[in-house]
Amino acid sequence: KGRRNQKGKNRGCVLTAIHLNVTDLDLGYETKEELIFRYCSGSCDAVETTYDKILKNLTRKKKLVNDKVRQACCRPTAFDDDLSFLDDNLVYHILKKHSAKRCGC
Amino acid sequence: EPVLSKGNNCLDAAKACNLNDTCKRFRSAYITPCTSSTSNEICNKRKCHKALRLFFDKVPPKHSYGMLFCSCRDVACTERRRQTIVPVCSYEDREKPNCLNLQESCKKNYICRSRLADFFTNCQPESRSVSSCLKENYADCLLAYSGLIGTVMTPNYIDSSSLSVAPWCDCSNSGNDIDECRKFLNFFQDNTCLKNAIQAFGNGTDVNVW
Repeated sequence: KGRRNQKGKNRGCVLTAIHLNVTDLDLGYETKEELIFRYCSGSCDAVETTYDKILKNLTRKKKLVNDKVRQACCRPTAFDDDLSFLDDNLVYHILKKHSAKRCGC
Repeated sequence: EPVLSKGNNCLDAAKACNLNDTCKRFRSAYITPCTSSTSNEICNKRKCHKALRLFFDKVPPKHSYGMLFCSCRDVACTERRRQTIVPVCSYEDREKPNCLNLQESCKKNYICRSRLADFFTNCQPESRSVSSCLKENYADCLLAYSGLIGTVMTPNYIDSSSLSVAPWCDCSNSGNDIDECRKFLNFFQDNTCLKNAIQAFGNGTDVNVW
């Protein structure tokens, strides 16, 4: 139920897929293999909880010493399956938690 | 042709696999155990074999055969093809047993016994037939061959210049059984039915069957 709420209030936070070469990731691998990279992006401005509402109000009234209280951000709530590939020196590598599967605020 | 080859069929098959959720998942699922060293071994061979069997069971042939039976023109390609099953874990061993002894250990295992029988049935060469196969069915031969991957009889390409394959065994110390041993090993190494089946898949010439 939580996810549906988030989706409804924060339509901005969505999963986006992009087709890349493994070398585009700049993780230091030399290979010609490719992947689908999925990431979370969009705003989480819609107020989620009373907590978020209070924080916003206090920030507006400058009642907090640190004005930059972190707002909810659009992040992966689950990761894609592992990715494996063979590099140019015939060594296998595995990437874990490299790509998003679901997003939330 | 550039010196550094830019691409090949085996690389294309690997790319296609990682863009397909099922293939990507089951590929990583065997690369992980097949490349993870344990305290005193290169890997857990049993887990590697199990994950390899799962890969060939679950992934559609278009993808799994694509990586195993891709056609090659250069060493970069054939070496990648040879690495498909992670041979350092799934194939090679400290010692090379005699093939007839290996066959005995295979027969003690239900999966290995039945898959070896399938292989001998479905990849039986017949020089007088058009396909060079007695059964005239390349798909069944490739299915039987790939079925051996993940058993003690796991076969692989033996060099980078041909489609010759063999399990990890030889015929030294065969004694009186030398002819029987060579016959067994040659069924892998020098099998025109299997070679034609691999070639037909790699070239996409036998399209009706897949």
